[in-house]
Amino acid sequence: MKRVAILLFLVASGLYGQEAPTITIRKGETTNVALKTLGGSDGAASTKVLQNDLDLSGWFSLTPPERANYIIEGSAAGGTLQGQVTDQRGSVVLQKTYSGGPRRAAHRFADDIVETLTGHKGIASSRIAFVASRTGRKEIYTADYDGANVRQLTNDGSISVAPAIAHNGSKLAYTGYQSGYADIYLIDLGSGARSRIIKFPGTNSGAAFSPNGGQIACTLSKDGNPELYVVGAGGGGARRLTSTRGVESSPTWSPDGSQIIYSSDERGGPQLFRINAGGGSGQLISTGYNYCTEPSWSPDGKKVAFTARTGGFSIGVKDLQSGATNLVASGEDPVWGADSRHLIFSSGSSLVLLDVPTGRSVSIVSGLGKVSEPTWSR
Amino acid sequence: MKKLLTLGVAALVAITFASCKKKGGGPYAGVEGDYVSGTPLPDRIEGANFFGSNVTRGQFSPVYFGYDSFSISDSEQSKIQQVASAMKSMSNTIIIAGFTDERGTEEYNRGLGEKRAQAVRDALISQGVSGGRIQTVSFGEEMPADSGSGESAWAMNRRAEFGVVK
Repeated sequence: MKRVAILLFLVASGLYGQEAPTITIRKGETTNVALKTLGGSDGAASTKVLQNDLDLSGWFSLTPPERANYIIEGSAAGGTLQGQVTDQRGSVVLQKTYSGGPRRAAHRFADDIVETLTGHKGIASSRIAFVASRTGRKEIYTADYDGANVRQLTNDGSISVAPAIAHNGSKLAYTGYQSGYADIYLIDLGSGARSRIIKFPGTNSGAAFSPNGGQIACTLSKDGNPELYVVGAGGGGARRLTSTRGVESSPTWSPDGSQIIYSSDERGGPQLFRINAGGGSGQLISTGYNYCTEPSWSPDGKKVAFTARTGGFSIGVKDLQSGATNLVASGEDPVWGADSRHLIFSSGSSLVLLDVPTGRSVSIVSGLGKVSEPTWSR
Repeated sequence: MKKLLTLGVAALVAITFASCKKKGGGPYAGVEGDYVSGTPLPDRIEGANFFGSNVTRGQFSPVYFGYDSFSISDSEQSKIQQVASAMKSMSNTIIIAGFTDERGTEEYNRGLGEKRAQAVRDALISQGVSGGRIQTVSFGEEMPADSGSGESAWAMNRRAEFGVVK
């Protein structure tokens, strides 16, 4: 009897001692939450945005209060949102005031709900940039992660492509052909100021900010061959990483900034390789597909998404720990969200938001002509 | 004593040659592997824009390429020779613009187009043209020569074009 009691005690204390969420994502596993319509003059508008954010996040099932583990409520008016989350016993687990318009404040509340209840980073406040041919020329556009607030960022009347948002969303680099050559430009997204920062002879393209925003990996052809380089974020100090007869393109950084995955066709068709950001030799990453480009390293470091040519194009996801590779959708040019769970990629005239564990996809941008090359802040 | 001296000199020579064989270093951040014999590009001419009014296009036939390839076939070599000959009797700089068909992904196609332009540049250099007179630019899958789809259109788009800077 005593033995059973000890066992029960251990099991019980194990349950109560459990911290928030494990890192394993099980397909379809959700937490029940109830969302009460927010009060206040902006309550209805904020509730709509909040509901969409919670739904898209993939972490929750929206249920009536009696079946919910957590109740979400609050009020929004005059540029302020007061939000509160209580558990089944009525204890407050989150209580915070958010400033900003009804949409922006709701996004920030949604992200806090995700982080508080799941331990994962939210994607609701993030911004995307992409290329669209709406005007007849390729220009860079920005939008919220859910496709709202689309804004045309460039008006170069040339070819403006390959945008890359810094992780904190403060700046964007892109490739512009205004000079007649492919150069890399930097835009401060706060002030709108733009400068041409990488303009070596030949082609300069494929900018990718390091996690802390201090460096840019890119393809430069100045030495007579398109190779991978790391350049300071202001455009100075180009350091060459690769030395092959092929084409290196589309670098993506590891979350700690120590390594870069990129595509190279040095062995025939383009394949994924991994290299130390400080220099070394590129190591092949096998995927099972013989044309792999446009890699994106997940923020948790565990996966790389990429474009695979499979007749048309498909989105591949390789688990870097287990080595398994799966195709998750038709489309091109995937980019991970801050939660390492969602991808955005292009599919013809749409940008698609994909929840990888459940396969649920939503078209977030369309009607802007051909859209391509999405990039996503974290 | 003489033997020791000879040994010492031999050792010194051996060490010198051993360090000459070391790969990488310099601007390559310690990379090992294939040393690339690419010729660095010269500084750009301010204002020279391949599609601008200060560049003459169409004076020479474009060089065409196979699918996903940047190698110059035998049948295309004569075009290179034509350009090389012409450049001996003029002092202009040229810009080689590389293009791809629409079928690959965008950023890789920018690189492939550049590789095609630089392959043509290397071929001209080996025909005696100075590398300092040859610029390159890649437009990837943009600005197709034939905006249709299908094999014949795609074949027309996989190309390197020559522009003569006025």
